[in-house]
Amino acid sequence: MKPVDLARKLRRDAAFEPAVLGRGKEALMAAIRQEVEPRRAPTVIPQLPYADIRAALSFLERAFGFREIPTWRLEGKDGVIHHAIVEFGDSVIGIGTQGAHGAISPMSGGIESQYLSVAVADVEAHYQQALAAGARIARAPRGQGAEARAYEAIDPEGHRWRFVPQRLREVPQERTSG
Amino acid sequence: MGAPSDAEVIGRSLGEPEAFGLIYDRHAATVLRFLGRRAGARVAEGLVGELFRIAFERRKTFDASRATALPWLYGIGSNLLLKHRRAEARRLRASARMVAAESTDRRASAAALDARLLFPRVADAIEGLPDDEREALLLFAWEELSYQSMAEALELPIGTVRSRLNRARAHLRELLEPKGKGRVRSQ
Repeated sequence: MKPVDLARKLRRDAAFEPAVLGRGKEALMAAIRQEVEPRRAPTVIPQLPYADIRAALSFLERAFGFREIPTWRLEGKDGVIHHAIVEFGDSVIGIGTQGAHGAISPMSGGIESQYLSVAVADVEAHYQQALAAGARIARAPRGQGAEARAYEAIDPEGHRWRFVPQRLREVPQERTSG
Repeated sequence: MGAPSDAEVIGRSLGEPEAFGLIYDRHAATVLRFLGRRAGARVAEGLVGELFRIAFERRKTFDASRATALPWLYGIGSNLLLKHRRAEARRLRASARMVAAESTDRRASAAALDARLLFPRVADAIEGLPDDEREALLLFAWEELSYQSMAEALELPIGTVRSRLNRARAHLRELLEPKGKGRVRSQ
């Protein structure tokens, strides 16, 4: 057999989840919109340490709907990601290497020293998406009030995320203006 | 009137960035399969978005005389894959084991035994090629690109593509020789 034919024998297609192309399109369009309307610089950026940043980015996108801002990624020549920024609504979060800046992933630190509260427009749909992506649920939504509909999930490295209905965010504003 | 060419769409996306979404719609599936064959589903899923974002950022440099953007996208993909050499090597070796196992199932003959020994060596040999030769070989053998498309993807003259592919063939033959010095991987 000729070398090219031998090489051809080793050609093997990969099996993809059907949703991959749709997610890629959304990520591309989000990046394009960013070019059109540059975001204002945030004043506070929470930084979360992860042992496996690539896996964390993939999980945060699939389960919670975060999107990476690709132009802010710091990546070595070897393909190792050192830091990335993800956005959700009008906020951003840094995803960093565990150990950098003294921050330790709960997976190896054994404790969660903080949690993140995220206000989402449709908390029920968000919960279903997180469930489908295999997120560990620490507190399921129970009941109808804003507080009761909130849920908490633990990501693969043990960070705790609390998702609350969006109107909770407006409460302090009403208070101060009233 | 037919659909606008890739060059027209990319041209339009300079003023209307969202038009670039059509380039994704046209080529993302092909590009995703290409990345998947090379580095597996998990890596490919991460890379396809990155690849199109890079293409979007570089759209000003797309040569508008080209009929299709696909070779250009292959070229960006080839560069991205360089960072995932380990995933590629793993996949190549796994493919070799599968091909070998398949031929063993069908006929327990001397030929099957040969296949069991041969394909892992083919995988090692491809793995051992210099990056530029491996890229040329796989674009030709797996993606079935024409010389012209390969030249566009690798940004090389056609003559250089031909000679690179010939070098890859010669190298493989040498690395696969049953006996002799070139038998093992070059490094």
